[in-house]
Amino acid sequence: MDAGFHNLQRQLAALLPGETWLESSPPLELTSMGVDEAPRLISATLLEDRTLRAHTIAGDVEPHFAAFLDGTQRSRVIAHAGEVPIVHGVIAAVVRQRVERRLGTWRAPIVRGALYAPLGLLGDVWRDALRRSRIDVVDTLDAKQGDSQHPFALQDAAIHAIQRAREAAERELAEAWCAAGDGDLFLDGSVTGSDAVATSSRAVGVVKTHRTLYAEGDALRTVLRLHRAERSSIFRITSPRRTPVASWYLRVRDPRGHDPLWGLVRVEVAEAHGNLPQRADDVSRWVLAEALPLAVPDGRWDKMMYGIRDCEEFLRAIQ
Amino acid sequence: MSPAAERVLGRVVATEKRPNTPHEFHFWTAIDSPIGIGTIVRVDAEIPVAGQMVRVYGVVVEGFSYTDLQSPIHDVLGHDGSPAGASLAATQRAEIRLYTAHVLRQLPEEPLQPVPMGKVALASDEDVAVALRMDTYLAAEARTAIPVGIYRAGAMEAPIYLDADFLLGPEAAHLNITGVSGLATKTSAVEWLLASIFAHFPEQKGSVAAICFNVKGPDLLFLDQPGKLDESDREMYEKLGVRSEPFDKVEYFAPYTPKGFTLNTLRSNEALAGNMRPLTWGLNEVMQFAEVLLNKDDVDAKADAFIDFLQERVINREFTDPVLSTTHRVRSFGDLEAFFRDLLRGVEDRGSGEYWRTHHVATIRKVRNRLSNISTRCAGLVTDEGVVSDLPFGSFADRTVYVVDVASLEEDTQDLIFARVVSKLREHLERRDLGVSHVVVFVDELNKYAPGDGPETYVRKMLLDIAERGRYLGLVLFSAQQFRSQVHRRVVGNSGTSLYGRMDMDELATPGYAVLSAATKTKLATLEKGHLMVRHPHFAQPIFVRFPRPAAMRGRDGAERFPPAGDIALDVAVLRSLRQLDGSVSLDWVKRTITGHDEGQVIRARNATLQARPERVQPFFEAQFRRIVPPEATPRATTVPIRSLPGDDPYGF
Repeated sequence: MDAGFHNLQRQLAALLPGETWLESSPPLELTSMGVDEAPRLISATLLEDRTLRAHTIAGDVEPHFAAFLDGTQRSRVIAHAGEVPIVHGVIAAVVRQRVERRLGTWRAPIVRGALYAPLGLLGDVWRDALRRSRIDVVDTLDAKQGDSQHPFALQDAAIHAIQRAREAAERELAEAWCAAGDGDLFLDGSVTGSDAVATSSRAVGVVKTHRTLYAEGDALRTVLRLHRAERSSIFRITSPRRTPVASWYLRVRDPRGHDPLWGLVRVEVAEAHGNLPQRADDVSRWVLAEALPLAVPDGRWDKMMYGIRDCEEFLRAIQ
Repeated sequence: MSPAAERVLGRVVATEKRPNTPHEFHFWTAIDSPIGIGTIVRVDAEIPVAGQMVRVYGVVVEGFSYTDLQSPIHDVLGHDGSPAGASLAATQRAEIRLYTAHVLRQLPEEPLQPVPMGKVALASDEDVAVALRMDTYLAAEARTAIPVGIYRAGAMEAPIYLDADFLLGPEAAHLNITGVSGLATKTSAVEWLLASIFAHFPEQKGSVAAICFNVKGPDLLFLDQPGKLDESDREMYEKLGVRSEPFDKVEYFAPYTPKGFTLNTLRSNEALAGNMRPLTWGLNEVMQFAEVLLNKDDVDAKADAFIDFLQERVINREFTDPVLSTTHRVRSFGDLEAFFRDLLRGVEDRGSGEYWRTHHVATIRKVRNRLSNISTRCAGLVTDEGVVSDLPFGSFADRTVYVVDVASLEEDTQDLIFARVVSKLREHLERRDLGVSHVVVFVDELNKYAPGDGPETYVRKMLLDIAERGRYLGLVLFSAQQFRSQVHRRVVGNSGTSLYGRMDMDELATPGYAVLSAATKTKLATLEKGHLMVRHPHFAQPIFVRFPRPAAMRGRDGAERFPPAGDIALDVAVLRSLRQLDGSVSLDWVKRTITGHDEGQVIRARNATLQARPERVQPFFEAQFRRIVPPEATPRATTVPIRSLPGDDPYGF
């Protein structure tokens, strides 16, 4: 447990003397149920080839990315106001710039802490105490994502709010890089959250979770059977609230002896810049160049690049 | 204060597993920082204690480096087992440089607390002085600082000083230096330090001279000749305030070879004869230290009693006795032998039994044998005729080095020289009439002279005595050896200052080095020539310094530049000796003068001349031969057979 968490508990305890405070609650990211979306398959519009197929990435891989961006979040229930969980969340984001093969921090990292609670469900005493505390308070009912008062649903609402805050921080830094950074940025996750980033030629998103796969039928088989250093045909990712981008699957490690998603990432770039197949090949080479050093001991090392692990380690150190 | 010294290079860290203590702390740095083992750092705390900001000085004793890898196998897997692939990685792994430092000083000194978190910077010149408590003896009004070398870190260089009060007494004294053989570090360090002492020994503390026993080859035989120095050496000399010149006052002493023609030294080149003196002793000089040469198993209580009798009643006195044919005045080994001969003949002739004055004849014979043997065993040093050429006890000169070359001598002779010289130094210092108030005695190969085990020897007893009591007298021992662990603990334990050159790993594994960290030991095992680790009473931790090459010529270089004279004829030897007194002496004159005289007579004449140092050398030398009465030719008695043998009787009957 970090000092900030306990400090906050002490601060609130002074305002709410009769309340009970949780000693060592586990991170909600580990325990929450229902946060992850259900696995699904979506067919996507191809921007290359008539049917989705595998392309071998020829030529030497070469490091190209100038920086890496990632964010983290951490949340814990700090207390229960009756049956309502009060969640303490800390989000952080950082750009780590690479200079002569060593990573350093670009500009100031973002670290923000807040209490997340459904204010409408709290009594006056709690609402008053939270208002008087010196920490930001986020009303998790603002998003209006469901009206269940199940404690888990309330926790999930808090986690979603924290996730949005983390994505906002990542977006903030990504936009700053696209406006002023020198070189191409490797983002952990999708670039579609920000129009400025999604249309920038300097941002490359690398998605390593595949709850949603943008292929069905034969196309799916092709994706899951990609060999190392093979990419899929390019397709378009669209979403009602997000900017469309060009995307493709890329196998960064040999999957033999592993599950079909082993070493598989999905790359996102802006759609409007130059010859897309050529750019897909170039970017794929850049991503493949990041396969070393391994991001161990992180369990996701088959898909995670070392620069992203470095961001996470950095954020863990400063939070 | 230089900007480099002010630059923050690290931060103190402490974890539950690796906490800081009042004597040790940890800090990390950037991977390209100039910190290394032995670097002195300064920690500035960020929270005041009792209204004062704590400042801590420390010396780095251990370093750690690791990456975010949890297991080496991850790196192997990442490169498919191919080390060559490592260079292909787009990013270098995050890597830490973590150092452990031992506290040198904490200010304020009370309350003594664990080292706080804070910024770490390289110590500046001023910081180094404070950290090593040199500020107490660098003050202008009471300066007793003797430069020992330069501490270097990053681009910064700071002079390191020893305190004369703790190096040459009276607070502490003595210096011991240890290191592997062959790097010339020990000898060089002592030569450098003597030069530094001569340059900086404070006037108010009196005068100082040095006696160096040259025990190996030509090590110390060219201290008056200029050595090779490079620019960096000269800069160090300048920075440390010592002239980069050889010793200007050096006197050399060596016994003769057993043959007696030349001095038994590698400094026998004629060009260097000017300050080379013979070292010869007679009976008086030796008898006081007969104990050194006489084996205790040999000389029992009875023999000891008879030797005492000789010393008290016979030597240097007119002695007569009914058994003696004449009155004896024993002043040389020759006289002593004549006395013994007369005594034993008298005892036998008179048939007065087996005892003479309560001493058994066998004891007398034994003592005669052992004492007569001394002049044979120490031939070249000990003369039968009693000619003495000695160190200038009573007129030692300030800032002068006296080198006694014992390198080519037998062990017994070395022991005798060492014992007598040190005893005489002690006697004179006790009486305050040596000529100087402090004498540094340099002895190499202490493993041999003061071993930790083995029999108790006279020399070891003397070394222990100097080590334990010398500082009150101004008698200071500078000793050196390869293996400190094998030297008597009381000798090294009493050395206030210790220097360490490159060390052998086996030696470092002995218990005496347990206080050093593994990294410090590794540094010691790989120490470059010209680098030393210094322990001094004022320094809370050992410090690494560089010192310049001695400005005096190295022994090996000297032996090449001034090759030893080699075997020379007697007349040439006499010529060279006498030319020191009179440049007009010619070889022809020498040849003419010594013709018809045997070697012993010539050598005696030469020695007498050298001892007397007369104004008119040639007449004095010639006069020595006029005193010699040529032996009369004794008519050989004609032997007559008792009876002639019959030619056919092979048995003579």
